[in-house]
Amino acid sequence: MLLKKMWGLAGSIILTAGLLAGCGSEQQNVPDTGANVPQERVTLKVGIFDRGNSPSGVTVTNNYWTNWVKDSFGAVESYIDVEFVPIPRSGATEKVNVMMASEDAPDIVFASTDNLLPYNFAKQGGLMDLTDIIDEHGPNLKSYLGDVLEMGKVDGKIYSIPGKRVYQGRYTSIIRQDWLDELNLQMPATTEETYEVLKAIKAAKPDSIPLGFALRQSSIEPIMWSFVEPLNEEQRYTMTQQLGATDFPVLLPGFKEGLKFLNQMYNEGLMSPDFALDTDGNQLNEDIMNGKVGLYSEDTGKTYNSTPGIAAKLIASEPAANLVPVDPYTNSEGKHAKPGYLPNNFYIMVPAKSERAVEAIKYLNWLASEEVMNTILNGTEGQDYNLVDGVPQRIDSQEVADRMYNAGDIELMTSAVDYGNAEMNRKAMVSSVAEQFRARAEKSYEIGETDTLNQIRFPDPIEAEIKYGAILGDLYNEMLVKVVMASPQDFDATYTSMMDQYMKSGGQKILDERIQAYAALK
Amino acid sequence: MRLNWQLYMLLALPLSFFIIFRYGSMYGVIIAFKEYNIFQGVMKSPWSGLDTFRQIFAMDNFWNSLKNTFLLNFLDLIVSFPAPILLALNLNELRLSLFKRFAQTVLYLPHFISWVIIGGIVYQVFATNNGFLNEMLGALGIGPIPFLTNPGTWLITYLLVGVWQSAGWGTIIYLAAITSINPELYEAAAMDGATRIRRMWNITLPGIAPTIILMLIIKVGDIVQIGFDRPYVLGNASVGDTSRVLSTFVYQLGMTSGQFSMAAAVGLFQSVVGLVFLFGANALARRWTGRGIF
Repeated sequence: MLLKKMWGLAGSIILTAGLLAGCGSEQQNVPDTGANVPQERVTLKVGIFDRGNSPSGVTVTNNYWTNWVKDSFGAVESYIDVEFVPIPRSGATEKVNVMMASEDAPDIVFASTDNLLPYNFAKQGGLMDLTDIIDEHGPNLKSYLGDVLEMGKVDGKIYSIPGKRVYQGRYTSIIRQDWLDELNLQMPATTEETYEVLKAIKAAKPDSIPLGFALRQSSIEPIMWSFVEPLNEEQRYTMTQQLGATDFPVLLPGFKEGLKFLNQMYNEGLMSPDFALDTDGNQLNEDIMNGKVGLYSEDTGKTYNSTPGIAAKLIASEPAANLVPVDPYTNSEGKHAKPGYLPNNFYIMVPAKSERAVEAIKYLNWLASEEVMNTILNGTEGQDYNLVDGVPQRIDSQEVADRMYNAGDIELMTSAVDYGNAEMNRKAMVSSVAEQFRARAEKSYEIGETDTLNQIRFPDPIEAEIKYGAILGDLYNEMLVKVVMASPQDFDATYTSMMDQYMKSGGQKILDERIQAYAALK
Repeated sequence: MRLNWQLYMLLALPLSFFIIFRYGSMYGVIIAFKEYNIFQGVMKSPWSGLDTFRQIFAMDNFWNSLKNTFLLNFLDLIVSFPAPILLALNLNELRLSLFKRFAQTVLYLPHFISWVIIGGIVYQVFATNNGFLNEMLGALGIGPIPFLTNPGTWLITYLLVGVWQSAGWGTIIYLAAITSINPELYEAAAMDGATRIRRMWNITLPGIAPTIILMLIIKVGDIVQIGFDRPYVLGNASVGDTSRVLSTFVYQLGMTSGQFSMAAAVGLFQSVVGLVFLFGANALARRWTGRGIF
């Protein structure tokens, strides 16, 4: 323990010396007078997502915004040095599990947008009770998050701080308008019409993939949930299965019909044949950019964003191509039902062993102030954006894109600047999109918010979901793949056997616990 | 002891390595019998007896993983084990030493490629829709073969990719064994008019038989141990029932779900079964050939 501290001390001395050495000649004397500084310098370790997308020359822990944070926060709380600790975005939960178990987690740590992980940690005594510290040091944070902060409570105490999610839409479908025009087809507005359009595309362009599909929630959910029958409250609470951050419709009425629809699409050659291998969606993106795909659904806004630049790359090779947003699937009530997000973003935690809980809250409180939020998310006026009708419009250049690439990951308290009304927020969200796509992107955000279904949450998470969630999530994908790829005559048998396996592997335990929890709720 | 104290000193270092890092860390397996709480640590977590094992044995996925581990390793043994022997016999017969060295190097290379990269290559080559192989077959009018998405064909792909990756490297040990065979035997056989095939069968093979048995015992002992990378990288949702093995199951339990006690219990179970197989293989080898490894 002592040894560890000495190493830490040695490390900070070297670090400080290094910093000072870079500060120009007149500050060389500072170490001599350092003893007179009243407050001891401390280092606050802050997690940051590494998405593996850093532009050349910078890293997630050393770039424009990390330096800006160090300087600007350092100016407010001069005794705190901020140090960023990378957390890989893919596999974040695994990484944070290991960090927590080895007492190696940063003072501000987060992994996912689901409440299971913080709940699990809190129940095991691994998280700091932040209730009093927030009262004392987090006025901005409290007023900005409002009700969302309630979601971080376990047994009435705040153990984690969920960031705010301003836009709660989730998925939008995109269609090739130019193909519709070419084949004289109407824009589909119902599931039946969509099916007819896909068949017509297949007939006219046999080499195309009418429905682009990957083994990802963004491909699966918009279709599956449109088949779910309207539910009463009890059904929604007891028969939904939350695996990870998302509600799954496995047990809901209509789920089988949804699979049947996909099975038909697959067997008629209307959807991506290798979707089972495409778990990261890269194959789908490639197919779209190569002009092979007619219709697909995605995380709202993705097509028009500059990374991976799907629409831009498609247009570069096929100038006539026109990707437009569409709401193609309807449920039995004629609504375009699809899942939305809860009003929370990532759950931010402070480990129980952290000695910097007060500093962590001071930091988050600083991030929650309007000025800081505006600066991080929009950049500097004139350099990164220009104001148009009161909405910042990002300047369209590689330099700005490279500078702003991880700004959203620095600002932990919110997903976007909240302008107070949905239309204004949409305008602001598309402001970073290249100008030629802005109108379509705005429409796509509007569709993403239409007829969204809310996720269902009990006050306390279901224990069985913590235990079996990961295994069942994989099994769900397996079930989907096997049932969809089965020949039509094997459909029922495959469905029954996979469903049986799902229930035995924990699905039944979740159902039982949910029925109990619902009874307790009443 | 006093005479050779320098030698004991030399031994002390590797010995302490094993004691500290191999045996010392074994105390961690006790979390299999505890309700492990990552924040309380190994010692303070409450005991739970055999509860964890009961929970595991009640899981469908566990039995499925166990079955697949045996299946994949057993088939791998049948397919991959003879490959380096055949390859070594062939390499040994090459006369042109320059070509022999070139061939050896080319055959070794795949061993040094990480499974993650091999996985990427496999997807490029074997995918049903845009895979290189299926595009070639398509040009010949042969319908797409689902190399990766049908359990049967996946199994064949899995095994052959394994052979491709490891066969060349496996030859090293056999080639070394072959060099220790007395060359006079070959000369005498050649005098008596034995053909090449004959010489391979009657001299080379018996000459390396002890090595083959040794390798077989090691492989059989490992039948319940399965590497993580290969099934994890090559597996996918459509063959989950076949590609799910103990190592990936442990990963899912421990790393993804944070159920460290369950993961430790599966690992412990795996080791016990592995031990049984190791002793079994050794006993069989002793009965058949009169020599085992311990």
